[in-house]
Amino acid sequence: MSKSSPRRFAGRSTGTVTVIEAKVHRSSARNARMAFILTAVIVGLLAAVVAASSIHPILAVIVGALIGVPTGGLVWLLVRIWPVIRLLWWWTPETILGVVLLTAWVQLANHTPTVVTLIVVALVVGVPAAIRPVRRQVVAWGWCLVVRHRLRVCFAQFIIANQSGSLPLILWARPTPVGERVWVYLRPGLSAKDLEGRLDKIAVTCHASTVLIERASENNAAYLRFDIKRREVLTAHVGSPLVDVIDPTAPVSASPLTVPTALDLPDIDMPTVTLPTQGKPAGKKPAATTTANGSKPAASSASSVEDDDTSDWI
Amino acid sequence: MTTTIPTTAEAVPVGPGLSMFDPIFIGIDEFGQPVYLDVIYRNLLTAGEPGGGKSGLINNICGHAALCDNTRLVLFDAKLVELGPWRDLADAFIGPDIDQGIDVLRRLLVVATNRYAWLLANRRRKLADGDGMSVIVTIIDELAMFSTVLGTKAQQEEFSTLLRGLVSLGRACGMPVVAATQRPSWDIIPASLRDLFGYRAAFRCTSLNSSNIILGQGWAEQGYTASDISPTNQGAAYLLAEGGVPRRIKAAYLTDTDIYNIADYAAWTRRPTISTPTVNPTEWEMAA
Repeated sequence: MSKSSPRRFAGRSTGTVTVIEAKVHRSSARNARMAFILTAVIVGLLAAVVAASSIHPILAVIVGALIGVPTGGLVWLLVRIWPVIRLLWWWTPETILGVVLLTAWVQLANHTPTVVTLIVVALVVGVPAAIRPVRRQVVAWGWCLVVRHRLRVCFAQFIIANQSGSLPLILWARPTPVGERVWVYLRPGLSAKDLEGRLDKIAVTCHASTVLIERASENNAAYLRFDIKRREVLTAHVGSPLVDVIDPTAPVSASPLTVPTALDLPDIDMPTVTLPTQGKPAGKKPAATTTANGSKPAASSASSVEDDDTSDWI
Repeated sequence: MTTTIPTTAEAVPVGPGLSMFDPIFIGIDEFGQPVYLDVIYRNLLTAGEPGGGKSGLINNICGHAALCDNTRLVLFDAKLVELGPWRDLADAFIGPDIDQGIDVLRRLLVVATNRYAWLLANRRRKLADGDGMSVIVTIIDELAMFSTVLGTKAQQEEFSTLLRGLVSLGRACGMPVVAATQRPSWDIIPASLRDLFGYRAAFRCTSLNSSNIILGQGWAEQGYTASDISPTNQGAAYLLAEGGVPRRIKAAYLTDTDIYNIADYAAWTRRPTISTPTVNPTEWEMAA
């Protein structure tokens, strides 16, 4: 919506709502004028030259003008309404979907009794809503429709493009396990580096967690891939396929190991300091006589913990 | 290799037909797509803080290698338990014994040198799948134990030097090295050794600097830092491999039971046939 000059667009065209931005509108008017002149001149001249081979040159010029001016007018019209065509094109999937659903509803309501209509609607809506995988697919594809518009909002609102205000071509989108993947073809004035600094803002606009940008083509820097992440899969448990290729009933194969029995600190001798009262009280130590590494049992004369601590600090 | 195998096996072991020349499944990326790694012509360094999931990744690779045809394992694990389940399959399993480790590395270097002589004689530069030569996968867990803790200073340096030789030579002759450590800074692993590892996996770190040490300078500044991995999300990592840009992955997790089941099965498929007990085991080794 243009707020800067509402009188100029909305006022003149008797109550119509302006949907084209002022900048785009001005650029469109200039382009249309240029397109009209160029087309009219070129087509007119060509037509005149061709006509001159069979009729009088003056008549040929008139014929050229008669052909050139209407052709120029057609091109002028096309360029002038191009922003509207573009807008319609952006909403084509939603428009088609809406028309199909509405038509189906009207046809159904007209040709079946109310009860049948309601049952059919309940089935069409209820079955996908009840079956989880189907519901997820529907929601995922719904997000694909939404996210293309959100990306366009990003480009139009805060990513400065070129002087004529042309937006990148937002191509198709498809769901991924974590969100959506959208392919975008950049127009002159933008690059992947420009966008990398704005990923957080794009994520906010797309109602997503994070957004990643990668080049979709090695040969063309304009062709990008936007990965919009809404869910985190890296916290999931990932199994290994190796488990599936083995037979878990295979006979156990393990070479015998010598297991040491000195499994507690007091079981191990101190290598350098040799004090007569080192180690814990004998009561706390299990199976002191069976230490595998030949460590001597803790001295049973160690009467109290206090003695122990003192000796450790010496 | 001593294995105790029951004489009455009910089924016939069938190898799963994997090869080290196949890409190894190691987990999923942040889009839920599977991630495969070609370890055969690359060396992989995994690092990160304790409990980050390094051993999970290493066990995936080890499990794949164990189930592969014509593949030998050389395992270094000062902690014993991470690679211990595969000890019966491995041609060498080195525990906390640096002398033994140095001996094995010397043997591996001789093998590598001989293989290059063989390649030269065959007018080749790289080992290929159809050569029939075994792939020798060296897997080292807790590399820092061998380079800083065990043995004398001279032994540690010798270990690092020999390992550098193996990492630089092993790539083209089918002897890849996979190493894991916690923080591969210069005081723990020589920078000259660290930089030879082409693939890097950075599990959770506490600082940007630690992440940069693993992945390479400059990645943290571009937003690829392992310090933003949640400490509760074990197995999540940044993997710098094909593509040239680190990507977030989640390594597949093998439970202890899975690991032992795979190890048992691999040992079963690799055993010499029991029905021919008259054959001398040394002949089998020669045949292998």
